[in-house]
Amino acid sequence: MKQAQWLLFAAALALVPSTAFAQKKKPTGGGAASGGAAAGGGEIDLDQPQGQQGQQGQQQPPPDQGQAGTGGTAGTGGTGAAGGGGEGGGICEIDPSACPKMENIAEMAKKKYKQEIYAVEQIYVLRYHRVELTPYWGFTLNDQFVSHPGPGLNANFYITNVFAIGLNGNFYDGLNSDSDFNFQTRRATRVAVPLNEYQWSAALNFTYVPVYGKFAGFGSFIFSYDLYATGGVGAISTRPIPVIDPDNRKFDFDPKVCFNLGIGLRIFVTRWLAITGEIRDYIYPEKLENLSIATGPIGQPNDPTSPSNPNTWLQDGVDITNNFQANVGLSIFLPFSFEYRLPK
Amino acid sequence: MRKLTAATLLSWSGAPMALFVAAGVLAATEQPARAQEIVLTGPLKGAPPVKKLRLYRQGRFEIAPMVAFTLLDEYEHSYFFGGRATYYFTDWIGIGIWGGYAVNTNTDLTSQIDNIAPRDTLTASNVAPCAPQGATTAASCTQGSGNPSFSDQTAKLTWAVFAQVTAVPFRGKLALFQALFVDTEAYLFAGAGAVGVDERANCGDAGEPVCTDKTSFQLSSQAKFAPTFGLGLTFFLNDTVNLGVEYRALPFSWNRGGFDSRGLGPGDNFPDGKVNGDDETFKFNQVIGISVGFMLGGRHISE
Repeated sequence: MKQAQWLLFAAALALVPSTAFAQKKKPTGGGAASGGAAAGGGEIDLDQPQGQQGQQGQQQPPPDQGQAGTGGTAGTGGTGAAGGGGEGGGICEIDPSACPKMENIAEMAKKKYKQEIYAVEQIYVLRYHRVELTPYWGFTLNDQFVSHPGPGLNANFYITNVFAIGLNGNFYDGLNSDSDFNFQTRRATRVAVPLNEYQWSAALNFTYVPVYGKFAGFGSFIFSYDLYATGGVGAISTRPIPVIDPDNRKFDFDPKVCFNLGIGLRIFVTRWLAITGEIRDYIYPEKLENLSIATGPIGQPNDPTSPSNPNTWLQDGVDITNNFQANVGLSIFLPFSFEYRLPK
Repeated sequence: MRKLTAATLLSWSGAPMALFVAAGVLAATEQPARAQEIVLTGPLKGAPPVKKLRLYRQGRFEIAPMVAFTLLDEYEHSYFFGGRATYYFTDWIGIGIWGGYAVNTNTDLTSQIDNIAPRDTLTASNVAPCAPQGATTAASCTQGSGNPSFSDQTAKLTWAVFAQVTAVPFRGKLALFQALFVDTEAYLFAGAGAVGVDERANCGDAGEPVCTDKTSFQLSSQAKFAPTFGLGLTFFLNDTVNLGVEYRALPFSWNRGGFDSRGLGPGDNFPDGKVNGDDETFKFNQVIGISVGFMLGGRHISE
């Protein structure tokens, strides 16, 4: 029943309504910001068709809008009575001194305005204060001797819309695959290449999203994407696969400090689900199997010259290793929805 | 047909039961479908998703010189110098060719084998008898003309020509640090063609040298037929020039080490004293290419 519990828990999670606020809350009563967002009445579900949003708004007007709120325009929707803005109200009725006059327009045109226009207004997905979970499958890109496929998970929390802190983990144990080419080379040339396998890795990461935008597919639909860079530090547990003297050597997994750097691409399917692909380089100091076999008596692990002595099994020093890994997975953003508090 | 009763439900356990319960929960909370047509009115009625699109490819010819290199190399790194020529019928589909000549360099593994592999009866048919100057292994001769070492027997890619169809389904704009804006396209391609391979010549059969003979380690040129497919990104710097990066797969079988490794015993998994087609093994060859493309002809613009 463990599976049933998990599935029920997942179903319950999916049913819990939750909303992330994409911008910091402004003080209430400041007409422009709140009025614009609430002009249609209530929260806007960006995934719903426009017609339905209107219906929702009419059925459930927010308490501070009044009936006229449904017809309000950005900038005038702060109060119920003035919310209409269309019936001779507006700024001229509220404050006649602020009503623009023709003679002022030329003077106002000379004023320098600080224009703040974003390259992408109302971007499809906001990440601010959302959690991103990315289960993925990893593939080795640069190790022709042993591939290290396996599942992994990224968990990020976005401190800003473009910057996140998170954890990354990979599980390799039992999935490492020693290429047949190693065996063929050993048999044909009598030369063995030291091989290593991985058990797990874990890291603390920072992620930055410098690029985001839209793509048009077949000229008939539009989807959003972003590109991110990530990096961090953690540990990776590895051990040599005994190939030089497999009769006497048996290695245990040993964690090492591991740095990682990567870049990735997310293609958004919905506002909370994306297909993710990334390439990440795990950089760590590897210990390799000793290419020489001690010549002393076998079966005496305390004898420094014995091939049974574990101190003779590894090469001196470390080899800085780059494990380039391609990860393909799904990104799930929690909460599932968010609300724009600023007008378009 | 098995009837669904409380008893059968209770007899289920584990994952099937969990799935059934979860399906029930989901069905009970199902949202009403919203399948009605979205009726747009006003100025956007009937408008295409993208207007005034710059059609970089429609009716144009592209020549893209390219440098490419292989990934996950075993005995040789290959670097292709060539390019791609494509004619695009529409903005999203075209046909063309890709190809080039390759130069090769030894991997570290090849150098290691050359330097330390023993030259004795156990390796006589698989490792060329001579060793490079300064090698630590004892060899009867030093690498030179007529004296092959291991790096001379490993297979090398020499050229490639492929016909391919290119589809460009995705088109967008990329803003980098809000400073550099480039029209970007993602494309897919697939095709077939041939790869030139210098591979260890056959030996051990009648009329062929014995595989332990020095002369048996010479390479012979062959053409391997293979499919190709991959994907790439194109960044348009202006109407005529673009930069591109692409990933290409060229899967086919070849004898990369020049070994006699198969042909005898269970599953033909043991050496048979001959080097021939039996010793070829499948490799999913992969290439990364970087190109500069030049679009010839006038650029169109969509409605």
